[in-house]
Amino acid sequence: MTLTPETVLEVKELTKHFPVYERGVILRRKLGDVHAVDEVSFGIRKNETFGLVGESGCGKTTIAKCVLYLEPPTSGKIFFNGKNITEIFKEGKKDLVLALRRQMQYIFQNPYSSLDPRMTVADIIMEPLEVHKHIPRSQWQNRMYELLRMVGLEDYHAERYPHEFSGGQRQRVCIARALAVDPQFIAADEPVASLDVSVRAQILNLLQELQQKLGITYLYISHDLSTVRHICHRVAVMYLGKIVEIAETDELFENPLHPYTVALLSAIPVPDPRKKTHRIILPGEVPSPVNPPPACRFHPRCPRRIDICSKVEPPLLEVRPGHWLACHNPWPSKRLAS
Amino acid sequence: MTSDRKMAQTTLEQRPAGGHRVSQWALAWRRLKKNKVAIAGLGIVGIFIVMAAFDRLVALYPPKCILGVSPACQLDGRLHSNSPPGLAYPLGTDITGYDVYSEIVYGTRAAFLIGVGATGLTMLIAVVIGLAAGYFGGWMDNLLMRLTEVFLVIPFFLLLLVFLQVTIKLAPANTGSIWLVVFVIGAFSWPGAARIIRGEVLRVREFEFIAASRQIGASSYRILFRHLFPNVLHIIIVLATLQIAASILTEAAVSFLGFGAPGSNTWGQQMYNSANYVEQAWWGTLFPAVFVTLMVMGFNLLGNGLRDALDPRLRE
Repeated sequence: MTLTPETVLEVKELTKHFPVYERGVILRRKLGDVHAVDEVSFGIRKNETFGLVGESGCGKTTIAKCVLYLEPPTSGKIFFNGKNITEIFKEGKKDLVLALRRQMQYIFQNPYSSLDPRMTVADIIMEPLEVHKHIPRSQWQNRMYELLRMVGLEDYHAERYPHEFSGGQRQRVCIARALAVDPQFIAADEPVASLDVSVRAQILNLLQELQQKLGITYLYISHDLSTVRHICHRVAVMYLGKIVEIAETDELFENPLHPYTVALLSAIPVPDPRKKTHRIILPGEVPSPVNPPPACRFHPRCPRRIDICSKVEPPLLEVRPGHWLACHNPWPSKRLAS
Repeated sequence: MTSDRKMAQTTLEQRPAGGHRVSQWALAWRRLKKNKVAIAGLGIVGIFIVMAAFDRLVALYPPKCILGVSPACQLDGRLHSNSPPGLAYPLGTDITGYDVYSEIVYGTRAAFLIGVGATGLTMLIAVVIGLAAGYFGGWMDNLLMRLTEVFLVIPFFLLLLVFLQVTIKLAPANTGSIWLVVFVIGAFSWPGAARIIRGEVLRVREFEFIAASRQIGASSYRILFRHLFPNVLHIIIVLATLQIAASILTEAAVSFLGFGAPGSNTWGQQMYNSANYVEQAWWGTLFPAVFVTLMVMGFNLLGNGLRDALDPRLRE
């Protein structure tokens, strides 16, 4: 696949804080903020799969939810095809919002809870058509069957209820629902994390196939580096609400520069038990996002910490073409040659 | 892809016959059918429904027929008042000379009217408050739940008696109407149900299919009525079934205490009318009470069975 440099989605200094309140009967006292995402910027190009990786609680999902305004961002701007969509969502003009929702869709992590148990698959897939009414009612049924076939399900599945399906099939239904409005962009939040390993590859291949056929751009969120390597063109690594490194997938896996990325990659299981791996064990726990460490957020656990790390926050800079890094003392290049 | 589909199909094939298009309701019905106690409850309720629908056929005498006096029930021509159970009147007669059994049969319709009527009003209020508080949250939730707590704190039964007494005194024109009692029971019974529905809405609201709908662009109206309501409906059904029993019991108690609608023919009213003669004619008070108990038991057994059958935590 050829990458065109045309940027579809641009996120600029996106910040999302969740206030923490003391429990009270009438008056609540604000205790602080969970810094879920702090001034994160990145861009996604057309037809690209952009991976967002990091451990649980680092803010990956929050970014995706902010992009689709399922959570209103605290600050920052998000541009989609050059339009400031956060503004459009915030103003809430119904036709403009619906037009955006038609272009951007979301696939949830858990296919067991993202389908209404009281609706048939046909109703679930036709719901976007009912909401948007972008095609005439007489064609809804045909469109629904077309979508079912597109995601590898059969016509007779339409009359069934979600609880009659396996996890993989449910995720196919979710994908069909997302495709119902012909979106340009889909945010997929760990779409295979809750599936059996045997089914994961099928769903990932389906996503790739649909991308080639329909020209969809993906924001792919995962903590599973092996699936990221399989599906993504570019990858951003997050730690505690910050992006620490962005690079093309091969570049990131072959030549990681941020110590956190290196540690993360060293934790990928290797199929051969005799093969020696130098796994980097990070000391301590991930600090609380309510009170993140000053300057570089990784410095208390970093094996390559130097003085400046606790004093000045490293900016995200392009250290070589297409490779962005936020680190004062990067890992020596090519040292972890796989 | 194929192995995924094959795996799913084998699990589908293992399901019982009729596995095609099995809704959650069909599954619940299957579970309910296995529950003998619930089916017994359903049977009792069914018998009462037949009794109410065909009361003229089930009863021995026409309504308000004084045995030995009224032309329709002459018998041997002498007044049968407070007579013990016998061949002509299996459950005895009361002070006026009515056949206790026939009057109980005619009271069934009133019992359903009270149960279903009061429950209808209760559930209407409870559903509106529960859905609004649970879905909109924030100050709306706070306001509605504090209001609910105020109603919960008030001693319900006492309030009911005072309210009925005051209305009867102020508006004597309404005294004969059973609808007043129905309205008052309905208007004061909703707080418990409202709280439970709100809790269920709070639980369902967090499921990803609600967020999925929202990101499709669905309106609040659609989310409330197409997603939230169908997913809390099972709780509403259980609560309504139990509320029918509670309403019937409340009306019987109110009437027995003499606060009911004097012109109505309810089981509670029958007990009240016979209560003064309980030493000479215990059957006049006991048998209506037995029927109240039976009906309340029927609805409670059915309600508990429905709860087991519909409980999402037992759902696969």
